[in-house]
Amino acid sequence: MEKGYRAVTVADIVRHAGIARNTFYENFSSKEDCFLAACDFAANEALSRVVDAGGKPATWPEMIRAGLGALLRYIASEPALARTCIVEALSAGPAAVERYERSIQAFVPFFQRGRKVSRHGDELPETLEETIVGGIFWILYQRIVMGQVEQIEDLLGQLVEFSLTPYIGAESAKRVAAQADTG
Amino acid sequence: MPYLGIDANLAELTGGFPALARYRRAVAKRSTSNRGNGSENAEGYPPELARLPPGRHGLPREFVTHNQRERLIAGLAEAVAEHGYSGTTIAHITSHAAVSRRTFYEHFSSKDECFVAAYDTVMSELRERVEAGFEEAADWPHAVRSGIAAMLAFLAAEPHLARLCMVEALVAGPVVVERYDAAIHSFVPYFQSGREGRPPEVLARLSPTTEEALVGGMVSLISRRIIAGKAEQLEELLPDLVEFTLTPYLGSEEAAKIAREKG
Repeated sequence: MEKGYRAVTVADIVRHAGIARNTFYENFSSKEDCFLAACDFAANEALSRVVDAGGKPATWPEMIRAGLGALLRYIASEPALARTCIVEALSAGPAAVERYERSIQAFVPFFQRGRKVSRHGDELPETLEETIVGGIFWILYQRIVMGQVEQIEDLLGQLVEFSLTPYIGAESAKRVAAQADTG
Repeated sequence: MPYLGIDANLAELTGGFPALARYRRAVAKRSTSNRGNGSENAEGYPPELARLPPGRHGLPREFVTHNQRERLIAGLAEAVAEHGYSGTTIAHITSHAAVSRRTFYEHFSSKDECFVAAYDTVMSELRERVEAGFEEAADWPHAVRSGIAAMLAFLAAEPHLARLCMVEALVAGPVVVERYDAAIHSFVPYFQSGREGRPPEVLARLSPTTEEALVGGMVSLISRRIIAGKAEQLEELLPDLVEFTLTPYLGSEEAAKIAREKG
């Protein structure tokens, strides 16, 4: 995605992929179809990495830290795909926006589990998880737009702290986040 | 609405534009002295919001020009609400605005340019309301609360404009996306000012991206509701958003208390 979604043509795509135009149309009906497939692929891949990483730790805060770490690592390893699915998706038309919303929504349940370990789990705002996930993806969007995708893993501590604070309080969140910086 | 023969809620829409409100007052004065009270007044609509009659209407040229521009902007918002940005044509805009195609091109060179004008108008109005809300409160936590309340009230009262500036802006091309990013970012300082006067242990635990994440989370939640067609119920989010944004600064108990205050 050198030129942004709007400017990209099917000719650009086949040239980068080194395939024939026919082959493109055997697989996808349009540029948008191809774009949505790329985003679905990336979303599934990201989610499965988060699930794998999050399955190992014993406690919920550590699970969040491991999951976020895996997400950031994946984004850093696939900068072009990340740009496509996190930045370009938002300007690629209604179907892409809807798909994007649905993909980031998949991360909500990881955070919802935090209500069980929180002292005030029952009183937390109903929309909390949606807002946390939205905040995380907004930061990722901003960093990618600014061309800082290589340094995106540096955000781990801050994102861990941001997302844990409402559940376990700022002090404990800070502690878990500090561990994130060291390893 | 009766005065345009379309379902555009222009009076409400343009009521938010300070420039138009000024013209409206100026012209209302003029027309009452010239023509007495028109039948439109009886319905509660100022005569100048009715379709401009052709020929000698006695309105100052400057007003007509601005009126057409505002009307095109409102027409664009209506058209985009109906067809989405990419499906909107210039014919949709001019038909909602009840002006000619030629008039459109006297004001804007393209649909994109008209959208940028609409976006800027809506955002500056939104910013004004948030600022007014923020400044009227006695302390910072309540300022955040009333700023968010002002934002939600504006978006809920103007679902078409809400959609235009929070959802359609993202598909309206790079110029608007850049403006959108900058506009969202302009809310960061309101939260940053909450760092002033906090105890050192609170400051130590806030990270450089705290405010960005708060604003981003808030905006994304609002956008999701607008996409789901629930713009009119946005004000219900007030307690949740207040609690969410104040928690890093005040801790969850204090934040929840302010979030649940009445009024």
